[in-house]
Amino acid sequence: MNSIIELHDVSVTYPNGQSALKAVSSVLQNGTIYGLVGANGAGKSTLFKAIMGFVQPTTGYVRIAGKQIKQALKENLVSYVPQTEEVDWNFPVLVEDVVMMGRYGHMGFLRRPSKDDRKAVSESLDRVGMSDFKKRQIGELSGGQKKRVFVARALAQGSRIILLDEPFTGVDIRTEDSLINLFRSLASEGHLILVSTHNLGSVPSFCDEVMLINKELVAHGPVETAFTEENLIKAFGGMLRHHRLVGTDLHKDEDSRSVTVLTDDERPLVLYGEEGVEKITQPGDKT
Amino acid sequence: MMELLLEPFAYNYMIKAIWVCALVGGTSAFLSSYLMLKGWSLMGDALAHSIVPGVALAYLLALPYAIGALFAGLLASLSMVIVKQKTKLREDATIGLIFTAFFSLGLLIVSINPTSVNIQAIILGNILAISDDDVLQVVLISIICLIILCLKWKDLVAVFFDENHARSVGLQVSALKILFFTLLSAACVAALQTVGACLVIAMMITPGATAYLLTDKFSRLIMIAVALGTSTSAIGAYLSYFMDANPGGFIVSLQTVIFLIAFVFAPKYGLIKRKVIVHG
Repeated sequence: MNSIIELHDVSVTYPNGQSALKAVSSVLQNGTIYGLVGANGAGKSTLFKAIMGFVQPTTGYVRIAGKQIKQALKENLVSYVPQTEEVDWNFPVLVEDVVMMGRYGHMGFLRRPSKDDRKAVSESLDRVGMSDFKKRQIGELSGGQKKRVFVARALAQGSRIILLDEPFTGVDIRTEDSLINLFRSLASEGHLILVSTHNLGSVPSFCDEVMLINKELVAHGPVETAFTEENLIKAFGGMLRHHRLVGTDLHKDEDSRSVTVLTDDERPLVLYGEEGVEKITQPGDKT
Repeated sequence: MMELLLEPFAYNYMIKAIWVCALVGGTSAFLSSYLMLKGWSLMGDALAHSIVPGVALAYLLALPYAIGALFAGLLASLSMVIVKQKTKLREDATIGLIFTAFFSLGLLIVSINPTSVNIQAIILGNILAISDDDVLQVVLISIICLIILCLKWKDLVAVFFDENHARSVGLQVSALKILFFTLLSAACVAALQTVGACLVIAMMITPGATAYLLTDKFSRLIMIAVALGTSTSAIGAYLSYFMDANPGGFIVSLQTVIFLIAFVFAPKYGLIKRKVIVHG
Protein backbone atom coordinates (compact mmCIF):
# COMPACT_ATOMS: atom_id res chain seq x y z
CA MET A 1 0.00 0.00 0.00
CA ASN A 2 1.23 3.48 -0.83
CA SER A 3 1.41 5.86 2.07
CA ILE A 4 1.69 9.06 0.13
CA ILE A 5 0.86 12.54 1.34
CA GLU A 6 -0.32 14.82 -1.44
CA LEU A 7 -0.51 18.54 -0.81
CA HIS A 8 -2.47 20.41 -3.46
CA ASP A 9 -2.10 24.15 -3.33
CA VAL A 10 -2.68 24.21 0.45
CA SER A 11 -3.15 27.67 1.98
CA VAL A 12 -4.18 28.38 5.53
CA THR A 13 -5.37 31.78 6.74
CA TYR A 14 -6.33 32.02 10.38
CA PRO A 15 -9.57 33.77 11.38
CA ASN A 16 -7.64 36.85 12.52
CA GLY A 17 -6.49 37.31 8.93
CA GLN A 18 -2.98 36.05 9.54
CA SER A 19 -1.73 33.97 6.67
CA ALA A 20 0.15 30.89 7.88
CA LEU A 21 0.64 28.88 4.71
CA LYS A 22 0.62 29.98 1.10
CA ALA A 23 -0.11 27.59 -1.76
CA VAL A 24 2.03 24.66 -0.68
CA SER A 25 2.04 21.82 -3.18
CA SER A 26 4.12 18.72 -2.89
CA VAL A 27 4.07 14.95 -2.84
CA LEU A 28 5.69 12.91 -0.09
CA GLN A 29 6.51 9.26 -0.69
CA ASN A 30 6.85 6.33 1.63
CA GLY A 31 10.18 4.90 2.66
CA THR A 32 11.58 8.39 3.04
CA ILE A 33 12.54 10.68 5.91
CA TYR A 34 11.50 14.27 5.27
CA GLY A 35 12.87 17.20 7.22
CA LEU A 36 10.47 20.11 7.45
CA VAL A 37 12.68 23.12 8.08
CA GLY A 38 11.73 26.70 8.75
CA ALA A 39 11.97 29.45 11.33
CA ASN A 40 9.52 29.79 14.19
CA GLY A 41 6.25 30.98 12.77
CA ALA A 42 7.12 29.80 9.26
CA GLY A 43 4.12 27.48 9.24
CA LYS A 44 5.65 24.13 10.20
CA SER A 45 3.04 23.38 12.83
CA THR A 46 0.29 24.71 10.62
CA LEU A 47 1.36 22.39 7.83
CA PHE A 48 1.20 19.48 10.28
CA LYS A 49 -2.22 20.53 11.42
CA ALA A 50 -3.40 20.79 7.83
CA ILE A 51 -2.11 17.29 7.10
CA MET A 52 -3.86 15.94 10.19
CA GLY A 53 -7.05 17.81 9.35
CA PHE A 54 -6.95 19.87 12.56
CA VAL A 55 -7.17 23.04 10.53
CA GLN A 56 -9.15 23.32 7.34
CA PRO A 57 -7.13 24.72 4.41
CA THR A 58 -8.58 28.01 3.17
CA THR A 59 -7.78 26.84 -0.33
CA GLY A 60 -6.45 23.59 -1.70
CA TYR A 61 -6.65 20.15 -0.14
CA VAL A 62 -4.65 17.28 1.29
CA ARG A 63 -4.92 13.63 0.32
CA ILE A 64 -3.39 10.77 2.25
CA ALA A 65 -2.89 7.56 0.29
CA GLY A 66 -5.45 9.03 -2.11
CA LYS A 67 -8.05 9.38 0.64
CA GLN A 68 -9.77 12.21 2.44
CA ILE A 69 -8.09 13.03 5.74
CA LYS A 70 -11.02 11.90 7.89
CA GLN A 71 -11.07 8.51 6.23
CA ALA A 72 -7.29 8.23 6.52
CA LEU A 73 -7.45 8.96 10.26
CA LYS A 74 -10.19 6.39 10.70
CA GLU A 75 -7.92 3.82 9.08
CA ASN A 76 -5.08 4.85 11.38
CA LEU A 77 -2.86 5.77 8.44
CA VAL A 78 -1.24 8.74 10.18
CA SER A 79 0.14 9.21 13.64
CA TYR A 80 1.35 12.37 15.24
CA VAL A 81 3.99 13.00 17.89
CA PRO A 82 3.25 16.35 19.58
CA GLN A 83 5.70 18.89 20.94
CA THR A 84 6.57 18.33 24.56
CA GLU A 85 4.87 21.50 25.75
CA GLU A 86 1.55 20.47 24.24
CA VAL A 87 1.16 17.70 26.80
CA ASP A 88 -0.09 17.99 30.39
CA TRP A 89 2.64 16.07 32.22
CA ASN A 90 0.75 16.07 35.52
CA PHE A 91 -2.00 13.99 34.00
CA PRO A 92 -2.44 10.82 36.04
CA VAL A 93 -1.54 8.29 33.37
CA LEU A 94 1.24 5.73 33.29
CA VAL A 95 3.62 5.29 30.39
CA GLU A 96 1.91 2.07 29.29
CA ASP A 97 -1.51 3.78 29.36
CA VAL A 98 -0.27 6.48 27.02
CA VAL A 99 1.12 3.97 24.56
CA MET A 100 -2.11 1.97 24.79
CA MET A 101 -4.04 5.06 23.68
CA GLY A 102 -2.28 4.62 20.33
CA ARG A 103 -4.27 1.40 19.94
CA TYR A 104 -7.73 2.91 20.53
CA GLY A 105 -8.45 3.11 16.81
CA HIS A 106 -7.96 -0.65 16.58
CA MET A 107 -10.23 -1.50 19.50
CA GLY A 108 -13.96 -2.01 19.77
CA PHE A 109 -16.61 0.22 21.31
CA LEU A 110 -15.44 -0.29 24.90
CA ARG A 111 -11.69 0.02 24.07
CA ARG A 112 -10.90 -3.24 25.76
CA PRO A 113 -7.34 -4.18 24.78
CA SER A 114 -6.91 -7.52 23.03
CA LYS A 115 -3.81 -9.70 23.08
CA ASP A 116 -2.64 -8.01 19.87
CA ASP A 117 -3.03 -4.59 21.44
CA ARG A 118 -0.97 -5.58 24.48
CA LYS A 119 1.65 -7.09 22.23
CA ALA A 120 1.86 -3.96 20.09
CA VAL A 121 2.29 -1.83 23.21
CA SER A 122 5.08 -3.93 24.68
CA GLU A 123 6.87 -4.19 21.32
CA SER A 124 6.68 -0.44 20.80
CA LEU A 125 8.02 0.22 24.28
CA ASP A 126 10.85 -2.24 23.60
CA ARG A 127 11.67 -0.56 20.35
CA VAL A 128 12.22 2.83 21.97
CA GLY A 129 13.92 1.27 24.99
CA MET A 130 11.28 2.35 27.51
CA SER A 131 9.98 -1.02 28.71
CA ASP A 132 11.53 -0.55 32.14
CA PHE A 133 9.55 2.64 32.63
CA LYS A 134 6.09 1.40 31.69
CA LYS A 135 4.68 1.76 35.21
CA ARG A 136 5.95 5.32 35.66
CA GLN A 137 3.73 8.36 35.70
CA ILE A 138 4.64 10.34 32.58
CA GLY A 139 5.73 13.47 34.45
CA GLU A 140 8.50 11.53 36.17
CA LEU A 141 10.42 11.04 32.93
CA SER A 142 13.30 13.07 31.50
CA GLY A 143 12.87 15.10 28.32
CA GLY A 144 14.28 12.39 26.09
CA GLN A 145 12.24 9.65 27.76
CA LYS A 146 9.05 11.66 27.34
CA LYS A 147 9.71 11.96 23.63
CA ARG A 148 10.38 8.25 23.31
CA VAL A 149 7.08 7.39 25.01
CA PHE A 150 5.16 9.45 22.47
CA VAL A 151 7.12 7.89 19.62
CA ALA A 152 6.16 4.49 21.09
CA ARG A 153 2.52 5.57 21.06
CA ALA A 154 2.86 6.40 17.35
CA LEU A 155 4.50 3.01 16.70
CA ALA A 156 1.75 1.21 18.60
CA GLN A 157 -0.79 2.93 16.40
CA GLY A 158 0.80 1.08 13.49
CA SER A 159 0.55 3.96 11.02
CA ARG A 160 2.62 4.04 7.87
CA ILE A 161 2.95 7.80 8.14
CA ILE A 162 4.45 9.38 11.23
CA LEU A 163 4.61 13.14 11.79
CA LEU A 164 6.93 14.43 14.50
CA ASP A 165 6.79 18.04 15.67
CA GLU A 166 10.24 19.17 16.85
CA PRO A 167 11.24 15.76 18.26
CA PHE A 168 14.78 16.88 19.12
CA THR A 169 13.92 19.87 21.29
CA GLY A 170 14.96 19.36 24.89
CA VAL A 171 16.48 15.99 24.10
CA ASP A 172 20.00 14.82 24.90
CA ILE A 173 22.39 13.80 22.12
CA ARG A 174 22.10 10.10 22.92
CA THR A 175 18.32 10.12 22.60
CA GLU A 176 18.63 12.17 19.43
CA ASP A 177 20.93 9.56 17.93
CA SER A 178 18.73 6.68 18.96
CA LEU A 179 15.64 8.43 17.58
CA ILE A 180 17.46 9.03 14.31
CA ASN A 181 18.40 5.36 14.11
CA LEU A 182 14.80 4.44 14.79
CA PHE A 183 13.56 6.77 12.02
CA ARG A 184 16.07 5.25 9.62
CA SER A 185 14.93 1.72 10.29
CA LEU A 186 11.27 2.76 10.07
CA ALA A 187 11.91 4.41 6.71
CA SER A 188 13.65 1.29 5.45
CA GLU A 189 10.53 -0.66 6.46
CA GLY A 190 8.54 1.64 4.18
CA HIS A 191 7.26 4.27 6.61
CA LEU A 192 6.97 7.90 5.64
CA ILE A 193 8.57 10.02 8.36
CA LEU A 194 8.03 13.77 8.40
CA VAL A 195 10.07 15.59 11.03
CA SER A 196 9.83 19.30 11.68
CA THR A 197 12.96 20.86 13.08
CA HIS A 198 14.81 24.12 13.25
CA ASN A 199 17.97 22.25 14.15
CA LEU A 200 19.80 22.81 10.88
CA GLY A 201 22.95 20.85 11.62
CA SER A 202 21.21 17.56 12.19
CA VAL A 203 19.14 17.67 9.00
CA PRO A 204 21.82 16.27 6.66
CA SER A 205 22.60 13.49 9.10
CA PHE A 206 19.17 11.88 8.98
CA CYS A 207 16.91 13.33 6.31
CA ASP A 208 16.60 11.96 2.80
CA GLU A 209 14.71 14.96 1.60
CA VAL A 210 14.16 18.41 2.95
CA MET A 211 11.24 20.80 2.66
CA LEU A 212 12.14 24.40 3.43
CA ILE A 213 9.19 26.59 4.24
CA ASN A 214 8.64 30.21 4.96
CA LYS A 215 4.85 30.30 4.68
CA GLU A 216 5.36 29.16 1.12
CA LEU A 217 7.42 26.18 0.05
CA VAL A 218 10.89 27.60 -0.63
CA ALA A 219 12.42 24.35 -1.79
CA HIS A 220 11.75 20.65 -1.68
CA GLY A 221 14.17 17.98 -2.81
CA PRO A 222 17.04 15.74 -1.80
CA VAL A 223 19.24 17.21 0.90
CA GLU A 224 22.21 17.60 -1.47
CA THR A 225 20.35 19.82 -3.93
CA ALA A 226 17.72 21.57 -1.84
CA PHE A 227 19.52 22.20 1.44
CA THR A 228 21.72 24.97 0.13
CA GLU A 229 22.89 28.21 1.60
CA GLU A 230 20.81 30.14 -0.90
CA ASN A 231 17.60 28.31 -0.04
CA LEU A 232 18.24 28.51 3.68
CA ILE A 233 18.68 32.24 3.52
CA LYS A 234 15.46 32.46 1.50
CA ALA A 235 13.65 30.38 4.10
CA PHE A 236 15.02 32.03 7.21
CA GLY A 237 15.56 35.56 5.99
CA GLY A 238 17.58 37.47 8.55
CA MET A 239 16.91 35.03 11.33
CA LEU A 240 20.08 32.98 10.85
CA ARG A 241 23.51 33.58 12.22
CA HIS A 242 25.75 33.48 9.24
CA HIS A 243 29.53 33.22 9.40
CA ARG A 244 31.76 32.80 6.38
CA LEU A 245 35.48 32.22 6.61
CA VAL A 246 37.09 32.51 3.20
CA GLY A 247 40.34 30.84 2.20
CA THR A 248 42.51 33.74 3.24
CA ASP A 249 41.00 33.73 6.72
CA LEU A 250 41.79 30.06 7.13
CA HIS A 251 45.30 29.61 5.79
CA LYS A 252 48.05 31.37 3.90
CA ASP A 253 48.31 29.07 0.86
CA GLU A 254 46.48 29.29 -2.43
CA ASP A 255 43.58 27.15 -1.24
CA SER A 256 40.51 29.26 -1.93
CA ARG A 257 37.93 27.02 -0.26
CA SER A 258 35.78 28.73 2.34
CA VAL A 259 33.83 27.66 5.41
CA THR A 260 30.25 28.83 5.95
CA VAL A 261 28.51 28.30 9.25
CA LEU A 262 24.72 28.73 9.38
CA THR A 263 23.01 28.45 12.72
CA ASP A 264 19.91 29.52 14.56
CA ASP A 265 21.53 28.74 17.89
CA GLU A 266 21.24 24.98 17.75
CA ARG A 267 23.59 22.62 15.99
CA PRO A 268 25.05 24.67 13.11
CA LEU A 269 25.14 23.75 9.45
CA VAL A 270 28.66 23.86 8.07
CA LEU A 271 29.39 24.23 4.36
CA TYR A 272 32.92 23.91 3.03
CA GLY A 273 34.50 24.16 -0.42
CA GLU A 274 35.04 26.48 -3.35
CA GLU A 275 32.68 29.41 -3.27
CA GLY A 276 29.42 28.46 -4.95
CA VAL A 277 30.13 24.75 -4.78
CA GLU A 278 30.47 24.38 -1.04
CA LYS A 279 29.44 21.00 0.35
CA ILE A 280 27.69 20.18 3.59
CA THR A 281 30.21 18.86 6.06
CA GLN A 282 29.49 16.64 8.97
CA PRO A 283 31.46 15.84 12.06
CA GLY A 284 34.13 13.32 11.13
CA ASP A 285 34.05 14.07 7.40
CA LYS A 286 37.40 14.15 5.62
CA THR A 287 37.76 16.98 3.16
CA MET B 1 -26.84 1.39 71.24
CA MET B 2 -27.49 -0.84 68.24
CA GLU B 3 -31.07 0.28 68.25
CA LEU B 4 -30.02 3.87 68.10
CA LEU B 5 -27.65 3.22 65.20
CA LEU B 6 -30.37 1.44 63.26
CA GLU B 7 -32.98 4.05 64.00
CA PRO B 8 -32.60 6.02 60.73
CA PHE B 9 -33.41 2.89 58.76
CA ALA B 10 -36.85 2.78 60.34
CA TYR B 11 -37.82 5.83 58.29
CA ASN B 12 -38.52 5.51 54.62
CA TYR B 13 -37.38 9.04 53.89
CA MET B 14 -34.00 8.32 55.50
CA ILE B 15 -33.44 5.15 53.52
CA LYS B 16 -34.37 7.03 50.38
CA ALA B 17 -32.08 9.91 51.29
CA ILE B 18 -29.15 7.57 51.89
CA TRP B 19 -29.25 5.66 48.64
CA VAL B 20 -30.16 8.65 46.46
CA CYS B 21 -27.28 10.63 47.96
CA ALA B 22 -24.93 7.71 47.37
CA LEU B 23 -25.97 7.51 43.73
CA VAL B 24 -25.60 11.24 43.15
CA GLY B 25 -22.31 11.31 45.07
CA GLY B 26 -20.90 8.51 42.92
CA THR B 27 -21.91 10.22 39.68
CA SER B 28 -20.49 13.58 40.72
CA ALA B 29 -17.28 11.91 41.85
CA PHE B 30 -16.87 10.16 38.50
CA LEU B 31 -17.15 13.52 36.75
CA SER B 32 -14.83 15.19 39.26
CA SER B 33 -12.01 12.90 38.08
CA TYR B 34 -12.13 14.63 34.71
CA LEU B 35 -13.00 18.15 35.77
CA MET B 36 -10.04 18.77 38.03
CA LEU B 37 -7.60 17.76 35.29
CA LYS B 38 -8.61 20.50 32.91
CA GLY B 39 -8.76 23.45 35.27
CA TRP B 40 -12.50 23.05 34.98
CA SER B 41 -13.15 22.38 38.63
CA LEU B 42 -15.40 25.40 38.92
CA MET B 43 -17.45 24.23 35.98
CA GLY B 44 -19.77 22.38 38.38
CA ASP B 45 -20.34 25.60 40.29
CA ALA B 46 -20.89 27.52 37.10
CA LEU B 47 -23.37 25.02 35.71
CA ALA B 48 -25.30 24.82 38.97
CA HIS B 49 -25.90 28.57 38.78
CA SER B 50 -26.43 28.63 35.03
CA ILE B 51 -29.32 26.23 35.40
CA VAL B 52 -31.52 28.78 37.18
CA PRO B 53 -32.96 30.54 34.09
CA GLY B 54 -33.80 27.15 32.61
CA VAL B 55 -35.65 26.12 35.75
CA ALA B 56 -37.53 29.41 35.91
CA LEU B 57 -38.58 29.19 32.27
CA ALA B 58 -39.57 25.57 32.64
CA TYR B 59 -41.91 26.48 35.49
CA LEU B 60 -43.29 29.34 33.48
CA LEU B 61 -44.07 27.03 30.57
CA ALA B 62 -45.24 24.22 32.89
CA LEU B 63 -42.56 21.82 31.66
CA PRO B 64 -40.66 19.33 33.85
CA TYR B 65 -37.99 21.54 35.33
CA ALA B 66 -35.22 18.99 34.64
CA ILE B 67 -35.64 19.63 30.92
CA GLY B 68 -35.27 23.37 31.35
CA ALA B 69 -32.29 22.89 33.64
CA LEU B 70 -30.55 20.53 31.28
CA PHE B 71 -31.13 22.84 28.36
CA ALA B 72 -29.78 25.87 30.21
CA GLY B 73 -26.79 23.87 31.45
CA LEU B 74 -25.92 22.74 27.96
CA LEU B 75 -26.32 26.21 26.55
CA ALA B 76 -24.03 27.57 29.27
CA SER B 77 -21.32 24.98 28.71
CA LEU B 78 -21.43 25.47 24.95
CA SER B 79 -21.15 29.24 25.43
CA MET B 80 -18.11 28.70 27.63
CA VAL B 81 -16.46 26.52 25.00
CA ILE B 82 -17.18 29.04 22.25
CA VAL B 83 -15.96 32.06 24.24
CA LYS B 84 -12.84 30.09 25.20
CA GLN B 85 -12.12 29.18 21.59
CA LYS B 86 -12.82 32.54 20.01
CA THR B 87 -11.12 34.80 22.53
CA LYS B 88 -7.90 34.78 24.49
CA LEU B 89 -9.71 35.05 27.81
CA ARG B 90 -8.54 32.70 30.49
CA GLU B 91 -10.62 29.78 31.65
CA ASP B 92 -11.65 31.39 34.96
CA ALA B 93 -12.77 34.61 33.31
CA THR B 94 -14.76 32.67 30.74
CA ILE B 95 -16.48 30.53 33.34
CA GLY B 96 -17.21 33.51 35.58
CA LEU B 97 -18.55 35.59 32.73
CA ILE B 98 -20.97 32.98 31.46
CA PHE B 99 -22.32 31.72 34.74
CA THR B 100 -23.02 35.15 36.20
CA ALA B 101 -24.75 36.10 32.95
CA PHE B 102 -26.99 33.05 33.15
CA PHE B 103 -27.59 33.38 36.86
CA SER B 104 -28.62 37.01 36.61
CA LEU B 105 -30.91 36.21 33.72
CA GLY B 106 -32.50 33.61 35.98
CA LEU B 107 -32.95 36.11 38.79
CA LEU B 108 -34.45 38.55 36.33
CA ILE B 109 -37.02 36.02 35.14
CA VAL B 110 -37.92 35.14 38.70
CA SER B 111 -38.27 38.76 39.76
CA ILE B 112 -40.56 39.53 36.83
CA ASN B 113 -42.68 36.47 37.58
CA PRO B 114 -42.54 36.24 41.32
CA THR B 115 -45.31 33.67 41.46
CA SER B 116 -43.64 31.26 39.12
CA VAL B 117 -41.23 29.30 41.30
CA ASN B 118 -39.62 28.85 44.58
CA ILE B 119 -36.10 29.01 43.21
CA GLN B 120 -34.79 28.88 46.73
CA ALA B 121 -35.86 25.27 47.00
CA ILE B 122 -33.94 24.38 43.87
CA ILE B 123 -30.78 26.23 44.78
CA LEU B 124 -30.55 24.92 48.30
CA GLY B 125 -31.89 21.44 47.60
CA ASN B 126 -33.05 19.17 50.33
CA ILE B 127 -32.90 15.45 49.96
CA LEU B 128 -35.01 14.93 53.07
CA ALA B 129 -37.94 16.77 51.58
CA ILE B 130 -37.67 15.55 48.01
CA SER B 131 -40.84 14.30 46.31
CA ASP B 132 -41.09 10.86 44.76
CA ASP B 133 -41.39 12.30 41.27
CA ASP B 134 -38.19 14.25 41.77
CA VAL B 135 -36.46 11.17 43.17
CA LEU B 136 -37.35 9.36 39.98
CA GLN B 137 -35.80 12.16 37.89
CA VAL B 138 -32.65 12.22 39.98
CA VAL B 139 -32.25 8.45 39.87
CA LEU B 140 -32.85 8.17 36.15
CA ILE B 141 -30.37 10.96 35.39
CA SER B 142 -27.69 9.48 37.63
CA ILE B 143 -28.04 5.95 36.32
CA ILE B 144 -27.96 7.03 32.69
CA CYS B 145 -24.87 9.18 33.38
CA LEU B 146 -23.10 6.34 35.14
CA ILE B 147 -23.85 3.86 32.36
CA ILE B 148 -22.56 6.20 29.67
CA LEU B 149 -19.47 7.07 31.71
CA CYS B 150 -18.69 3.39 32.28
CA LEU B 151 -18.94 2.73 28.55
CA LYS B 152 -17.00 5.74 27.32
CA TRP B 153 -14.57 6.68 30.10
CA LYS B 154 -11.53 5.62 28.10
CA ASP B 155 -12.46 7.72 25.09
CA LEU B 156 -12.99 10.70 27.37
CA VAL B 157 -9.57 10.21 28.94
CA ALA B 158 -7.98 10.14 25.50
CA VAL B 159 -9.76 13.36 24.53
CA PHE B 160 -8.88 15.11 27.79
CA PHE B 161 -5.27 14.01 27.65
CA ASP B 162 -4.41 14.77 24.03
CA GLU B 163 -7.16 16.01 21.78
CA ASN B 164 -5.09 15.96 18.62
CA HIS B 165 -4.01 12.41 19.18
CA ALA B 166 -7.56 11.35 19.97
CA ARG B 167 -8.55 12.78 16.60
CA SER B 168 -5.70 11.00 14.86
CA VAL B 169 -6.90 7.60 16.08
CA GLY B 170 -10.32 8.40 14.67
CA LEU B 171 -12.23 9.39 17.83
CA GLN B 172 -15.10 11.86 17.44
CA VAL B 173 -13.59 14.55 19.62
CA SER B 174 -16.31 17.18 19.33
CA ALA B 175 -19.08 14.65 19.86
CA LEU B 176 -17.32 13.29 22.95
CA LYS B 177 -16.88 16.78 24.38
CA ILE B 178 -20.56 17.56 23.87
CA LEU B 179 -21.37 14.22 25.48
CA PHE B 180 -19.25 15.12 28.49
CA PHE B 181 -20.87 18.51 28.95
CA THR B 182 -24.32 16.97 28.60
CA LEU B 183 -23.51 14.46 31.31
CA LEU B 184 -22.08 17.22 33.46
CA SER B 185 -25.15 19.40 33.08
CA ALA B 186 -27.44 16.46 33.79
CA ALA B 187 -25.46 15.44 36.86
CA CYS B 188 -25.57 19.03 38.11
CA VAL B 189 -29.33 19.02 37.89
CA ALA B 190 -29.48 15.81 39.89
CA ALA B 191 -26.98 16.96 42.48
CA LEU B 192 -28.70 20.31 42.88
CA GLN B 193 -31.83 18.68 44.22
CA THR B 194 -30.03 16.55 46.70
CA VAL B 195 -27.33 18.81 48.11
CA GLY B 196 -28.06 22.21 46.59
CA ALA B 197 -26.05 24.52 44.39
CA CYS B 198 -23.23 25.41 46.74
CA LEU B 199 -22.34 21.88 47.61
CA VAL B 200 -22.54 20.57 44.06
CA ILE B 201 -19.22 22.30 43.58
CA ALA B 202 -17.58 20.35 46.35
CA MET B 203 -19.01 17.04 45.23
CA MET B 204 -17.62 17.66 41.76
CA ILE B 205 -14.13 18.52 42.96
CA THR B 206 -13.17 16.93 46.25
CA PRO B 207 -13.40 13.18 45.48
CA GLY B 208 -11.35 13.56 42.28
CA ALA B 209 -8.81 15.81 43.99
CA THR B 210 -8.38 13.32 46.84
CA ALA B 211 -7.96 10.40 44.45
CA TYR B 212 -5.40 12.39 42.47
CA LEU B 213 -3.15 12.39 45.53
CA LEU B 214 -3.45 8.64 45.87
CA THR B 215 -2.74 7.22 42.43
CA ASP B 216 -1.07 7.85 39.07
CA LYS B 217 -3.33 5.56 37.10
CA PHE B 218 -6.51 7.03 35.73
CA SER B 219 -8.66 3.91 35.99
CA ARG B 220 -7.75 3.61 39.66
CA LEU B 221 -8.31 7.32 40.17
CA ILE B 222 -11.89 6.96 38.95
CA MET B 223 -12.48 3.94 41.18
CA ILE B 224 -11.15 5.71 44.27
CA ALA B 225 -13.10 8.88 43.52
CA VAL B 226 -16.36 7.01 42.97
CA ALA B 227 -15.85 4.89 46.08
CA LEU B 228 -15.19 8.03 48.13
CA GLY B 229 -18.09 9.95 46.63
CA THR B 230 -20.55 7.13 47.14
CA SER B 231 -19.53 6.19 50.66
CA THR B 232 -19.20 9.72 52.04
CA SER B 233 -22.58 10.62 50.59
CA ALA B 234 -24.31 7.61 52.10
CA ILE B 235 -22.60 8.03 55.46
CA GLY B 236 -23.17 11.79 55.48
CA ALA B 237 -26.88 11.35 54.84
CA TYR B 238 -27.06 8.68 57.53
CA LEU B 239 -25.21 10.76 60.13
CA SER B 240 -27.28 13.85 59.40
CA TYR B 241 -30.21 12.04 61.05
CA PHE B 242 -28.60 12.12 64.47
CA MET B 243 -27.54 15.73 64.34
CA ASP B 244 -30.69 16.88 62.62
CA ALA B 245 -28.34 18.56 60.18
CA ASN B 246 -28.36 19.31 56.46
CA PRO B 247 -27.07 16.14 54.73
CA GLY B 248 -25.22 18.15 52.08
CA GLY B 249 -23.11 19.92 54.67
CA PHE B 250 -22.29 16.63 56.32
CA ILE B 251 -21.34 14.91 53.07
CA VAL B 252 -18.96 17.61 51.97
CA SER B 253 -17.40 17.95 55.43
CA LEU B 254 -16.67 14.22 55.37
CA GLN B 255 -15.13 14.50 51.92
CA THR B 256 -12.96 17.37 53.09
CA VAL B 257 -11.72 15.41 56.10
CA ILE B 258 -10.72 12.53 53.83
CA PHE B 259 -8.97 14.95 51.51
CA LEU B 260 -6.98 16.37 54.43
CA ILE B 261 -5.98 12.88 55.54
CA ALA B 262 -4.79 12.10 52.00
CA PHE B 263 -3.04 15.46 51.81
CA VAL B 264 -0.94 14.58 54.85
CA PHE B 265 -0.57 10.81 54.65
CA ALA B 266 -0.79 9.88 50.94
CA PRO B 267 1.90 7.26 50.21
CA LYS B 268 3.52 9.13 47.34
CA TYR B 269 2.22 12.70 47.25
CA GLY B 270 1.40 13.24 50.93
CA LEU B 271 2.95 16.03 52.96
CA ILE B 272 4.89 13.62 55.19
CA LYS B 273 6.33 11.61 52.32
CA ARG B 274 7.38 14.77 50.53
CA LYS B 275 9.12 16.07 53.63
CA VAL B 276 11.01 12.81 53.91
CA ILE B 277 12.13 13.08 50.29
CA VAL B 278 13.23 16.68 50.69
CA HIS B 279 15.17 16.07 53.87
CA GLY B 280 16.37 12.63 53.41
